[in-house]
Amino acid sequence: MIWVWIALAPILGGLVYGGERVLRARMQRRQGPPFLQPFYDMFKLLDKRTLIVHAPHALLALAHFFVLWFSVAAIFLGWNLLYIIFLHLFAQLLLILAGYSVRSAYSHVGANRELLMVVAYEPILILVAVGLYLVSGSFEVSQILKSGGYLSQLPLLFAALLMIIPIKVKKSPFDVGEAHQEIVGGVEIEYSGVFYEFLYMSRFLEYIFIYSFVYLFGGESHWLGAVLVAGVFLLVNLVDNATVRVRPAQMVKIIYTVAMGLAILNLTGVLL
Amino acid sequence: MEMVLTLIGLPILASLLLLLFPEKRVQYTIAVITLFILSVVSLSLFNRVEVLSFHLSHTINGAIVAADVVLLLFFFYQGKLFHHSKVMALAAVQLVLYGYIESIAPEAGSAEIVVNNLSAFMFLIINGVGGIIVLYSVKYMEDEPTSPLKKRLFVGGMLVFLSVMNLIVIANSILLFFFLFEMTTLASYLLIAFRNDEVSRANALKALWMNQIGGVVILLGALVAIIGFKTVMFDTLLQSSGGMVLFSIALLSMAALVKGASIPFEGWLLGAMVAPTPVSAMLHSAAMVKIAPYLILKLAPALAVSMVGGIISIIGALVFVSASYLALSRSVLKEILGYSTVALLGLMMSLAAIGSEESMNLAMALMLFHALSKALLFLSAGVLERLHHAKDIEDMKGMVTRSPKTVGFILFGFVSLTLPPFGLFMGKLFAISSIASLLKEHPSNLIILLSLIVGSALMVLLYFKVASALLSAPCDVEASEAIAIPSGFNVPLVLLSIFIVIGALGYIMMQHNIFVVLLALPMLFVFALPSLIRRMDRYDRSQPYHCGEKEPFDAALVYYEPSNKVQLLLYWGFGILFVAVAMVGALS
Repeated sequence: MIWVWIALAPILGGLVYGGERVLRARMQRRQGPPFLQPFYDMFKLLDKRTLIVHAPHALLALAHFFVLWFSVAAIFLGWNLLYIIFLHLFAQLLLILAGYSVRSAYSHVGANRELLMVVAYEPILILVAVGLYLVSGSFEVSQILKSGGYLSQLPLLFAALLMIIPIKVKKSPFDVGEAHQEIVGGVEIEYSGVFYEFLYMSRFLEYIFIYSFVYLFGGESHWLGAVLVAGVFLLVNLVDNATVRVRPAQMVKIIYTVAMGLAILNLTGVLL
Repeated sequence: MEMVLTLIGLPILASLLLLLFPEKRVQYTIAVITLFILSVVSLSLFNRVEVLSFHLSHTINGAIVAADVVLLLFFFYQGKLFHHSKVMALAAVQLVLYGYIESIAPEAGSAEIVVNNLSAFMFLIINGVGGIIVLYSVKYMEDEPTSPLKKRLFVGGMLVFLSVMNLIVIANSILLFFFLFEMTTLASYLLIAFRNDEVSRANALKALWMNQIGGVVILLGALVAIIGFKTVMFDTLLQSSGGMVLFSIALLSMAALVKGASIPFEGWLLGAMVAPTPVSAMLHSAAMVKIAPYLILKLAPALAVSMVGGIISIIGALVFVSASYLALSRSVLKEILGYSTVALLGLMMSLAAIGSEESMNLAMALMLFHALSKALLFLSAGVLERLHHAKDIEDMKGMVTRSPKTVGFILFGFVSLTLPPFGLFMGKLFAISSIASLLKEHPSNLIILLSLIVGSALMVLLYFKVASALLSAPCDVEASEAIAIPSGFNVPLVLLSIFIVIGALGYIMMQHNIFVVLLALPMLFVFALPSLIRRMDRYDRSQPYHCGEKEPFDAALVYYEPSNKVQLLLYWGFGILFVAVAMVGALS
């Protein structure tokens, strides 16, 4: 059964993404695309003529997608959270290398910014893992899901996690990677056709990845987990519509002061 | 016994042979044979478990004292020659202290030489990695604009350096350790000053006086040990308790901070960059700075339970973050690598000073993989310098088309430092989980954990910034020509890469953890990907998009320059922490 979920992960993420676009359109009082738009996009992209700059660049997009899928699978299988975070880092670095591997200023700017995003959220993700370890006694996802009450013990850490979600799902105020297409798509610019489709689907996997961290705070209670995910989903979209984008350096500063401060405060509280 | 003597004698013998035979082919043969014998001997020593110990005869001890005095007089003379008051003053202080200590030092004691597991492990790093660097330097020196005799002296000097390193890791007497410590200082001084221009001389003198501070604190530590416990032996000192034992240990570990170029002493290691590249590689990977984590590991039994150990592990962790941060303002490749050495040494010392069995093992694993990866990176940087005359990463833009193989080696070095399943990455991963498990007992470890997490993230930024410069290649519609690497450079690089892979595989197997093995899967996949998808040429090629501009333009690299105020604060902060080590040692 679990393998079916793993196999369906990109589709699941696609549904979330489609749902989000509908939700956002409703928030902005526009019609917006249909729910299944991500899949229509997929068929359209597969039908297009694929142009590539050079082979490694195209292959790295594939690698990025599959390693990301692997890390999402690792979550579903209940592995060690630290391994999962580092696998995810690995996937991210493949994308960054891809961005650097073409001599295009936009791609480079995008990759530079992706790198800054990693620097910003990576420490918080690890702190979340450590926090969950301190209260549950294990880094294993399967063990963490066997007890509960994390939200009451780690409220500030949860807030820190909330702060980095917009970075991962590319939402204001921290959408610096492509800046709503202002830097011509960032790392994604040189991709087209099939290879772009893989990058497009990676985004779906990112949704699954980051929202599973939210789900973990629900612990053994699946209902609480689901409610948390739904609530955070709404909140992130509300914030996206209500805020303006910050500069990359500001993003790092905000995360390193506010989110890190919250996380440390919470961890010290747990330890003392 | 014979094996240990081989490790010490063979490099000296080989350096003499190198001086006698100027012919290129003979030089290579000697270097290869030396590397081979040294590695085999250190491997077989590593596989033996017993602890060897032996006394030195009276004459040898006398000779060492004489040599030590001559060495210190030489330092004094150098200070006078180049009008460097710090060098002179420190040499004078050491002479006086050393004379006094020798006059009151107890005659009898436990064995002066002890070969234990830690030494055997150090042999592996010193001889394996160091031997490869010597092999590389034979080729590197060919193009050096200097006299043939000086070239041979250089390679010979590197070999003697190995021999000194082999001896320092088995010294049980603090005084013998001091002598060898000063010998490595001498070696670094001579090698850094090799090019004999103004900058080299200034940096060599800087390295000299900073390392002399290390010498002074070792002597002070020995003095305290003699007064308090009537011994100059590490093992007796470590077994004693109460009294001033921690003060002595604190002073000795301060020497490690100096040798390990922790901030505020990082200046000498970065200054060493003016030397020929094999020297930088040697100092950074196999020799010299590795004394720092080695010494902390040696002292760990006493450090583990004390405040001194706590402070040292905090200093190490903070150095890890600060040095990674400082490196972001640099653009010379060797300097960037230098700062990252300082940072990782901080991490190793931090883990070693925590002193739990797991953290000490981690520190050792980090040491091994750091030596391999850093040697690979420095030697590759040397290739770029020799073949393409590029030192600054701004000049390395698009290097991937001009020297794809070298860039491949450098990227592999970065990957082994930051990505699964390679050793250094694994070390950091296990370090996080190990420190997290210690958090409940010692909440102060939160500082170390945070530094580790943030420092690792900054290092990723650092390495991939360099990668971005190397990789910014034009699309493959344009033809490009590459310069091949000569085999004198290629062989050492390939050897190091193979060792990194073997080391990583061995380390993964040793963990007995199926999930760690699974971590390696994506790496395999990524490497296999090009062969899985054979026909990439069925896709049409296009030029990158330039928004309609005719001339292609580059994106800038990321730089972060800390303000002067922050920099000053850093130096003062670390200076105060450094002194605090001694104070806490004295008080506890």
